[in-house]
Amino acid sequence: MIDQKDGAVTKTLEVLRRQRWWVTRVLALPVHLFFFAVAVFFIVRMIPGDPVAVLTGGQNVSSAKAEQIRASLGLTGSLFSQFIHYLHNVVTLQFGNSMIDGLSVRGELSQRLPETIELAVIAMVIATALTVVMGLVAVLRPRSILAKILVPYARTAGAIPDFVLGVLGIFIFYTAFHLLPAPNGSYAPTLNPDPRVTGFPLLDALFAGDTAMFGSICAHLVLPVGVLVIANTPLLLKIFLRSLEEAVDAAPTRFRIAAGASRKTVLLSVVRRAAPAAVAMMGTLFGFLLGGVVVVEQLFAMPGMGLYGVNAVNSSDRTALEGFLVLVATISLVVFLIVDLINMTIDPRRRPGLAKDGAS
Amino acid sequence: MSATITVSSETLAASAPKVTVKQILAGIWSWAPLYPMVAVFIIAIIGPWIVPLSPTEVAGSPNLSPGGAFPFGTDSTGLDVFSRTIAAFRNDIVIATLTSLISTTVGILLGLLIGMNESRRGLLGWVARFLVRVLDLIQAVPAVVIALALVAVVGTSVFSLTIALAIILTPNQARMVRTEVLKVRGDAYIDAARMAGEREFALTLRHVLPNASWPALENASLVFGAAILIAATLGFLGVGLQPPTPEWGSMISTGASDAAVGRWWSFIFPAIALVIAVGSFALAGQRVFGRRNH
Repeated sequence: MIDQKDGAVTKTLEVLRRQRWWVTRVLALPVHLFFFAVAVFFIVRMIPGDPVAVLTGGQNVSSAKAEQIRASLGLTGSLFSQFIHYLHNVVTLQFGNSMIDGLSVRGELSQRLPETIELAVIAMVIATALTVVMGLVAVLRPRSILAKILVPYARTAGAIPDFVLGVLGIFIFYTAFHLLPAPNGSYAPTLNPDPRVTGFPLLDALFAGDTAMFGSICAHLVLPVGVLVIANTPLLLKIFLRSLEEAVDAAPTRFRIAAGASRKTVLLSVVRRAAPAAVAMMGTLFGFLLGGVVVVEQLFAMPGMGLYGVNAVNSSDRTALEGFLVLVATISLVVFLIVDLINMTIDPRRRPGLAKDGAS
Repeated sequence: MSATITVSSETLAASAPKVTVKQILAGIWSWAPLYPMVAVFIIAIIGPWIVPLSPTEVAGSPNLSPGGAFPFGTDSTGLDVFSRTIAAFRNDIVIATLTSLISTTVGILLGLLIGMNESRRGLLGWVARFLVRVLDLIQAVPAVVIALALVAVVGTSVFSLTIALAIILTPNQARMVRTEVLKVRGDAYIDAARMAGEREFALTLRHVLPNASWPALENASLVFGAAILIAATLGFLGVGLQPPTPEWGSMISTGASDAAVGRWWSFIFPAIALVIAVGSFALAGQRVFGRRNH
């Protein structure tokens, strides 16, 4: 009886030990989030100026009223009790109401998040697909004209900022040739929004069977997505090209060719060994895209999260900024978690416990 | 490393008695990639003194197209685009120079501290390992978003923007140095120095510092470009240097609405200046450090 129990325990422990690499990584997420929450707490409290004055628009109010406002903002009591109050709010996702327009920060953010995610994910998918295709072409056909264009393009990474590309795009495709709609939001202002099902504008239009809306959204997405893709693909391509070139030249490739493996097998092994660096880069890329979305939303007047964050900074709206920062940090950390997990799956050498001292 | 060798052989060639004009020309030409950067610096220094019109005061009627007294035209408030574009060099270059100096210095020190201590026991080891996590976390969040949070706190003067940008760009420098320290740390000459009785602190400064800091120095030209870009992005978003202070980002932002109705000049000139400034440093970095980081 006891033996059986012990056996079960060791078995469970063994299973746990084998799964430890991803369990510990997933468990690290709340810890990292906690640190960010702490940082946001202090950053928001360091913003200069009196929050009561921001909220009342500079009017004189009685001290009792001012105290009441402070209490509603979670700014009364000791720093510690404020912090506990704040943590409770973060965990329950209650950030309170915006200090400027009085709307619920959580409501606003959940309204705007899908718009931003949609934009970033579409750009991400296109950039990734382009990178894989262009990278393979450049490495497999190094003498082709395409390769000769791609390699210098990869080197330009980050030279022309996204907002310059955006304004250029508007000037060429809207002002000069009228090929694309005006940069005035995410769909033509004459259309009525579809009922909210998923929150993602494209999907909602699709579910409602609203082809006019779907077309309008697509047309309004061309430039923003184009700007994000053109500005950010070189970075990914540069990393992918470098690791592809290394993998092509590595001993395992030579062995496979020498052993007479088929071209497909060789190629598959090259891509597999080049992938981790590029996948890791995709985490960074998503971060860049989120940053780029902030700029693009401002430029094209798209009502997403980025615009919300910029407005919050401009108006010293502490509650809105708090919600915005915590949400962006969460998204970024979750993306990095996914990237790490994918990488540890492709390349088991990256799992923790195997890395020795000095590994970087 | 190869760059140092080229320098010395060229200086030798230049000081040798028999130099042909061809050799001198070749020498001048071989440093050509550095000239745009030098030009950018010169404009940054003398720019605000040579501009024909005030960059912050209304100079003429709004929306004049380029030509005559206004080579780059005027913007929608009647400010001279040429004067503003040239005067903006100083603001953006000062921010970028200070940022790359601060982030490289602090990055090297942090990288040394972390790299030399992270596998130790005791408080210092804990601090070092904690710092690694902090650097990771800062880099996990988009730079623009961190910049937004920081400018909300520190404000939007040249000085406070520099501080904010240094906080954003230091982690990358520190990580590069740390990686290098971890490689260098096990080398034989470090062990030799330790056996010779050098103290850990002296050893770090004399042997690890010069051998481990080159990635951060190489990367400084890219940090410079990144600082200009982020500063301009903040200006574009309306949370950077406030108008009418001449700054490319905010000029492009006001120029964007002009460009949408066909008045391209108030947008295109600051944009070109921005791209030239960023590109000149990338070019110079490539010439000095080779292609390794490009």
